[in-house]
Order: sequence, then structure tokens, then C-alpha cells
Amino acid sequence: MSKRAIQLQLGIGACAACLFLILYAIPYWISAPSNIRNIVLSPRFWPYAIAGLTGLVGLGMLFANRKPDEDDAPVNDPIEDPGAGLIRLAGMAVLMAVTFWLLPRIGMVWAAMLAFAALAFLVRTRHPKTALICALVVPLLLYGFFAHVAGVAIPQGDYVRLP
Amino acid sequence: MSMIDSIMAGLALVGNVEALVSLAIGIVIGVIGGAIPGISATMAVALTLPFTFPMQPINGILLLLGVYKGGIFGGSIPAILIKTPGTPASSATVLDGHPMAAKGEAGRALGMALWASCTADLISNLSLILLAGWLASFALSFGPPEFFALILFSLTIIAGVSGESLLRGALAALLGLLLATIGLDLVYGTNRFTFGHPNLMGGLNFIAVLIGLFAIPEVINMVWHPTGHMGKVQTLGNKWVTFAEYKRCFRSIVRGSFIGVFLGSIPGIGAAPAAFLSYSEARRKSPNKANFGKGEIEGVAASEAGNNGVAGATLIPLLALGVPGDVITAIIIGAFMVHGLQPGPMMFVMNVDIIYGLFIGLIFSSGLLFIVGGLAIRGFKPVADIPKRILMPIVLVLCIYGVFAVNNSIFDVAVMFVMGWVGFVMTRYHIPAAPFLIAFILGPLLEDNFRKSMLMSGGAPDILLRGPITWFFWALTLLAVVAIARGTLDKAREKS
Repeated sequence: MSKRAIQLQLGIGACAACLFLILYAIPYWISAPSNIRNIVLSPRFWPYAIAGLTGLVGLGMLFANRKPDEDDAPVNDPIEDPGAGLIRLAGMAVLMAVTFWLLPRIGMVWAAMLAFAALAFLVRTRHPKTALICALVVPLLLYGFFAHVAGVAIPQGDYVRLP
Repeated sequence: MSMIDSIMAGLALVGNVEALVSLAIGIVIGVIGGAIPGISATMAVALTLPFTFPMQPINGILLLLGVYKGGIFGGSIPAILIKTPGTPASSATVLDGHPMAAKGEAGRALGMALWASCTADLISNLSLILLAGWLASFALSFGPPEFFALILFSLTIIAGVSGESLLRGALAALLGLLLATIGLDLVYGTNRFTFGHPNLMGGLNFIAVLIGLFAIPEVINMVWHPTGHMGKVQTLGNKWVTFAEYKRCFRSIVRGSFIGVFLGSIPGIGAAPAAFLSYSEARRKSPNKANFGKGEIEGVAASEAGNNGVAGATLIPLLALGVPGDVITAIIIGAFMVHGLQPGPMMFVMNVDIIYGLFIGLIFSSGLLFIVGGLAIRGFKPVADIPKRILMPIVLVLCIYGVFAVNNSIFDVAVMFVMGWVGFVMTRYHIPAAPFLIAFILGPLLEDNFRKSMLMSGGAPDILLRGPITWFFWALTLLAVVAIARGTLDKAREKS
């Protein structure tokens, strides 16, 4: 993506966010008492001000982007296979969702072990044995610290409980 | 309490093995974290934060300050040895550090980086001790309109100078402010973007947001580009820095330190601009001008002095005004809050022992940095060899445990994951994360002071311009906007 494309997308995004906030999100998702005498004290005033400024910034971006830029080179480092990269990103999103779902069910230690191993596999580690050992040891060490030193009630899950 | 009493009270807090060990461990963690490209001082501080929960407040904060200082120096090691700055603050060190390493003089460059860093760190700490108390006593007379004008000024500077573009910085700050509105309204207690969810009523957990924003995007980046971190490590060589060379560079080191102190004490500017300014000043004034960029040791000294000069000075606005000077101090403010402390002018009245304890600890930190840094230079090879694709899963697991531990809340883990994706998208779109986080922290304070001012005046906006202090901050804000906008326009004109 070139600098110009980034600026354009951000400008449009900011304007759209401004409209969404002003027309829908703030009136429906923020409740305000009906007897407020001064508008500036309303719980909606501050979000409206932020939304308005976001719109102005968006317009500023579109205005600053009106002249074509000669330097249209991509600003992010290219990667070898963007398709595979996107699949890995989707995999990461799934990994996070599954970890979140597993945390209360099987416990933080076991969920973290699985997340570690899955992430090491996702980034194609060249040290699978080390990764496996670390996947077992690191969550246990952290459990030891947080549960027994810091006194945090680490979720244990419904199946295997640790001392 | 007299000055002597305050110093004694501070000494009683930090004059024990535990405090010194916390500081030393912090410096070790910081140097290692800063030395690993992709971890950075910021992430190291964020990941260490949850480990301070069971500690005494002073020890926990000293640990984090150690990580901060160690991290800024540690960043220079990969900058010199593998041409990859461990932290953005070390970018200027690459300019002369790596050419020296390529000539087989890495040991000399790293030695000078260490000496310059420790000298600048000491100067910065002394400036903090001299200035913070004075500024805090001045700030005691601030009311809501003054605080509103001050925070607005800080946010303007942070948004304007943090990224490549003023507009993107402003957008980041506005998104941070918007995120900070989630929760119950400060005055009426009504719901704002809570969707009836009890977990959202207290607002988003600050630590979940910051770890999500600074650690998780690195993990996602690694997933996106697993081989993007490879670099060739240079050897240290036989040459070592001499005292004569340190003496020759001393003027540049002191100048760089004061540049760091000055820029560090202005909220938002941070270490990288200080390092570049110090470097360019050293080049302008040096008799070896032509050698800069080709492996000039004075260039390494100047850039390291510039970035380390910031480390103590960023604590001036944090401790005296309660306004974080950069992202790392924004994280450190989290440690204060977790331990029930609120940095700002009142802390100099209520918790003066902790303030003086921190000052004394910081003075020790310069000496400890010298010892730990010297060992780290020789021990960098194993650190550089830690496979990044093992390190990132460790970071992920650390984040999960750390964020959960703040409130015993699995919901916070979800907030961290979501913020990780937000941070990743922001990186891809070159939106700076610093204004976002600092606006998120300062947002409630800004709104609170604005509404208090309005309540005081019955809604009349002229209270925001009620006296010389507010005029001063409004004038600075205006000046900053004009200067930043002019700089942006000049840059655009140069291009066309």
C-alpha cells in the first residue's frame, strides 16, 4: 500500500466513523438524563466533540491527499507470499478466539500450553523440540509465580487441577 | 517535612537489599529486552509490569524504572552489532555504531555507548531531582482549568510529533480519547458504550489496552512475516574504548545529555528525536565532521547521550504533573495506579518518602547500569541467538497471564487480544500508538477537568482562560499547532 492509499483510506474511514458516531452510536449507545440544563455537562457532549474532531481530521486527510504523489512506492516491507501471510493471520485470529474460549474451560495453564505450541507451529519454528519443552515449562513456571507468589487465582478449569 | 527528613524517609525505603536487587534485576531485564530486536524497552516494561503486583510499591516501581533505563541502553547493542535498533531510540546509534562494527570495532563502539549512556543517565537523574520538586510545588496551585489546558497541550505535542504525520497522530489521539469514554459517565453515572455489560462499566482495563497495543502486535507481525527478523551478528573485535576517547567525546556527551533532558521533560517528544538532535549537533560542532556516518565514535557517544538523557527527564512531567512524558512512563503510571499511588503534585505532599526513595534509587541505577551493561556487551551473543519464533510464543503466554492477573478477569484477556489487532492495523497504517495510549490514559482526566471547570463557571467557557497559567498553556498549544502544521507544509512543498 502506498502512502497516498493509506491516507485516502484513513480519511474515508475517519469521516465514516464520525458519521456513524454522530448519527447512530452516540444517540443510541449513550444514555443521558433528560433534565440537563447545560449541554456541555451532558454525558454525550464529550463523545460528540471527539466525533466532530475525528470528522475534521478525516477531511484534513482527504484534503491533504488531493494532489497525486510522485512517490507511489509501498510503505510496508513486502513479504514473500502475502496469501500465506493472510492465512497465518486468520490462523492467529482463530488461535486467540479458541484460547479465550478454552481459558475458563480447561484452565489457563493448559490453554496457554496449547496456545504456545500452536503459535510456534504457526510461525514455522525451526526448533520444534525446544518449542515443545518451552510450551510445557513456561506456563507452569508462570502458574507457580502468579498462583503461589502473587496470590492470583489462576483459572484451573473443569478437568485437571494443579496444586 | 524538611528536605533532610524527606531524604532520610526515602533512604529508609530504598536502603535495603530488596530495593537494590529489584533495581538490578530490572536493569538486567531491560538490557536483555532492549537487546532483542522486536522486544524493545516498551514491551519489556509492559511485560514486567504484572510481576510487580506482589512487590512493595517502591520496589515494583524501581524494577520498572530499571527495565526502562536498561532497555534504552540495551537497544544500542543490536543497533551496533546487527544494524537493527533494539528500540526506536537507538536508531541514531546505527549511523556510526554499525560502520564501526563492520570495521571490527564493535567492542569500542559498545564501550563508548555504555559510558555515554551512564553519564547521560546520571545527568538526567540529577535534573529530575532538581526540577520535579520545583515544578510540583508550582503545580499545586493548578485548578481544573489549568489542568485541562496543560493536558490539552501535552496531547497536542504528543499527537504532533509522535508519528510521520500530524493528522495521523491526531487521529490516534482521538481514537484513544474515544476509547476512554467507555464506561459509566463521571458526573451522572449513566452508561456510555457499555451495552449493558458489567465488565465495561468501569471502562477498559488500562493494562490490557497497553499490553494489547505494544506486545501483541509484535506477535501478530511475527505471524505475518516469520522471517523478517533475521540479521547477521558482528563480532566485538579486540579494540576497547579508552578514557582518552571518552574525554574527547565528553563535550558531545554532556551536550547530548542536556538535549535529552530538555526534550524529555516536554511530554510526548521521547528519546528518538533527542538522539538524532544530539547526533546532528555533535556532527555540526565536531572537528571530525567528515567522519560522521562512516564510523565516528563521537557519533555513537552523542546519540546514546541524547537518548539516555531522556530517561530520567521523562519522569519530570510524570511525577510533578501526573502527565506521562512518553509511552514507557505511561506504562509506569500503571504501576503507580496498581499500587494505589497517583503521580502528580499531591504525591510530593502525601508520599514524599516514595518520591525521595525513587530519586535515591535512580542515582544508584546509573552505577548499576554501568556494571550490567558491561556484562551485557560481552554476553550479547546468546541473547541474539534466542530464536524469535520461540520468543514470541513466550511473549503471548506472558501477556495472557499478566493481563489476567490485574483483575482476575478473562474479559481483560479478550480486550488485550482485540487491542492487539487494533495495534497491528495501526502499525500497517502507520498510525502512531503513543498518542493513542497517552490519550486513553489522559482522556478521563481531560474530560473530568473540563466538566469540573464548566460546573465551576456554570457553563461559561471563559473559565478556560481564567489566568496567566491557562494563557501560557493555550499559547503553547497554539504555538505547537502552528509549528507542527508549518513543518508539515514545508515538507510537502519540498517534495513538490
